[in-house]
Amino acid sequence: MLLPIATPALPLDEAGKYVAGAYVVFLALIVIYVAIMAAKLQRIERELRELAGFVESRVNGDGQAAPGRGSEEPSISDSLAPHGSRGGGT
Amino acid sequence: MYGKGLRPLSIATVAAIVVSLSLVFFYAPLDADQGFIQKIFYLHVPLAITALVGFVVGGVFAILHLRSGDSRWDAYSYVSIHMSVIFGVAVLITGSIWAKASWGHWWVWDEPTLVSFLIVFLMYATYYPFRYAIEDRERQARYASVFAITAGAFVPLNFMAVRMAQSLVHPRVFATANGGLPGSMMLTFLVSLLAIGLLWVTLVKFELTAKSASGQLKRLRRALDAPAPGGASRVAPEVS
Repeated sequence: MLLPIATPALPLDEAGKYVAGAYVVFLALIVIYVAIMAAKLQRIERELRELAGFVESRVNGDGQAAPGRGSEEPSISDSLAPHGSRGGGT
Repeated sequence: MYGKGLRPLSIATVAAIVVSLSLVFFYAPLDADQGFIQKIFYLHVPLAITALVGFVVGGVFAILHLRSGDSRWDAYSYVSIHMSVIFGVAVLITGSIWAKASWGHWWVWDEPTLVSFLIVFLMYATYYPFRYAIEDRERQARYASVFAITAGAFVPLNFMAVRMAQSLVHPRVFATANGGLPGSMMLTFLVSLLAIGLLWVTLVKFELTAKSASGQLKRLRRALDAPAPGGASRVAPEVS
């Protein structure tokens, strides 16, 4: 393949859109990532609120199952638990 | 536990990015050959270096996991690789944009640097299906660590192989016999590298914090549902 190695520099008006494109793509990736993480954190916060409500209702004498059961699928999150709760070993 | 120091780290990262962008657009001179388009260099190359170093760091964490059996190292390894894959996507996209502007092509298949990075990226893209194809968490973590070590060792070997390959297209601007970057460009590049490196560390810490919170939540839920020694659930007994 013949490549235009020695091509002259692009004029600013043409080069600008490529430079802007590269930086915008990078920014967009970071924003998308942060948005996904923010959504996850919101879910965690909501589940924590549910659990807090459940514990409060238990203290008040209303017996019911803990919310969010059935989420014991293998997950990287579990491996982060300080004392390890993997594979049913603990 | 993982969130400790996240706030000052985030502030330092934002400050470094602002300084870096200021240097890129207001301090670093225009390249004599490529002109304004060379500004992509200050984003693309630090991203590539950070991603590759991140892959190696993931391998180092995997070694620590296999040596100690501590699942936290596995989590570090996973998040390091995950973040480096995201950075790898940015490397490929910004590189393609730069290639189109400089060479007139979005991708050049006979350029070793580009193709080797793509190979490394695709190799790490298989990390996720490989990891989650294993159901047993103990084995999952162990096999993923072996993958991370093997792939992490491949990264510097691949880098050296590419450096030894003769290329007319991808310029070598560091440590070359016939001169490298001028001082102002080198300073700008180093600040950009620091900013991108800090961003990587911050995002890794951020994700570890989120995953830790999620893991603790699941443990709490399990503890609430666990049956008491008498047979009934400690916290959530059967309601008759």
